[in-house]
Amino acid sequence: MNEEKEIEEQPKPLVLQKLEEHHADALLSKDETRGTVVVVIRKEQAYAVLEYLKTDPELAYTFLVDVTAVDNSQMESELMQFDYARFMVVYQLYSYQGQCRLRVKVPVHENDLNTPSVTGLWQGANWLERETYDMFGINFEGHPDLRRILMPDDFEGHPLQKDYPLRGRGERESFNFDKQNA
Amino acid sequence: MGLTNTDIQNAQGAEQTDGNIITTTIDKVINWGRKNSLWPMPFGTACCAIEMMATLASKFDLSRFGSEAIRFSPRQSDLLIVSGRISIKMMPVLKRIYDQMPDPKWVISMGACASCGGVFDTYTLIQGVDQFIPVDVYIPGCPPRPEDLIDAVLQVQQKITSGASPKGVEHLLET
Repeated sequence: MNEEKEIEEQPKPLVLQKLEEHHADALLSKDETRGTVVVVIRKEQAYAVLEYLKTDPELAYTFLVDVTAVDNSQMESELMQFDYARFMVVYQLYSYQGQCRLRVKVPVHENDLNTPSVTGLWQGANWLERETYDMFGINFEGHPDLRRILMPDDFEGHPLQKDYPLRGRGERESFNFDKQNA
Repeated sequence: MGLTNTDIQNAQGAEQTDGNIITTTIDKVINWGRKNSLWPMPFGTACCAIEMMATLASKFDLSRFGSEAIRFSPRQSDLLIVSGRISIKMMPVLKRIYDQMPDPKWVISMGACASCGGVFDTYTLIQGVDQFIPVDVYIPGCPPRPEDLIDAVLQVQQKITSGASPKGVEHLLET
């Protein structure tokens, strides 16, 4: 109980203060969920904002915990909020210096699945972005090696898109061993 | 395991004549040898593999049945134990390992996942390895207990004793 009170009394998180000061035009939404600051930023400025979050000496979000995506195509409320962007690419960041987490979301429209790769900022983004590409079909521009990482190379489609049938399109019953071994 | 002439006689229907001479057929002797020295190739991809390890370890001790010589090379083994989920990316690997095993070879499909996909009725999981490789013995359970695996090995042994062909060569014999 005491902890909750302390959180309530805290001033606005530093990261929000600084983002409002330096990247106000990129901020689409800001929120705080269970002690984690959640910001939604415009795709066009995503790389610049993430770079700022990493390199700013006061924030220093040097650790990219995860990159993933969400398909909101069946979440009408979420869709309406961000101009009917079907996908939301999610970056989970951690700052060892501030010992705090930050969730950065980037809306991506279905008709333009390109989004900047952050492998230039965090080397660890390489496989995470490959996974997001494999599962959701998000195209990370500037990625050094954007191949499938979980599914077989000749797999068609992106299975975590909500319109992908759970039991697949028959690929699990019929595949060509000769082709795989070639 | 100490073996007397009487053992062979009882087990294989061989006839004993005077002294130390026994008569039998070459198939029976070979099958008797095969049966008691199955060398398993473990293909453990999930929790069933933990039960398989328990089966091999001291408490359940599969070596009592002659199958303790686990080979991690398919070229040296004659019993493939598929224990765990097989994804569509793993299936070609499993198929290749099966193909590398020398004949005669037997396959145990251990657990619900390997036999029918189990609870994972999804786009990526093979719904039963028998769609792609011939399976001799299926073990139900999720995961099966070590006793179930021992029972499956004994069933393979029975199959060998009876002179039945492994599932893998039946289709060759038909043609």
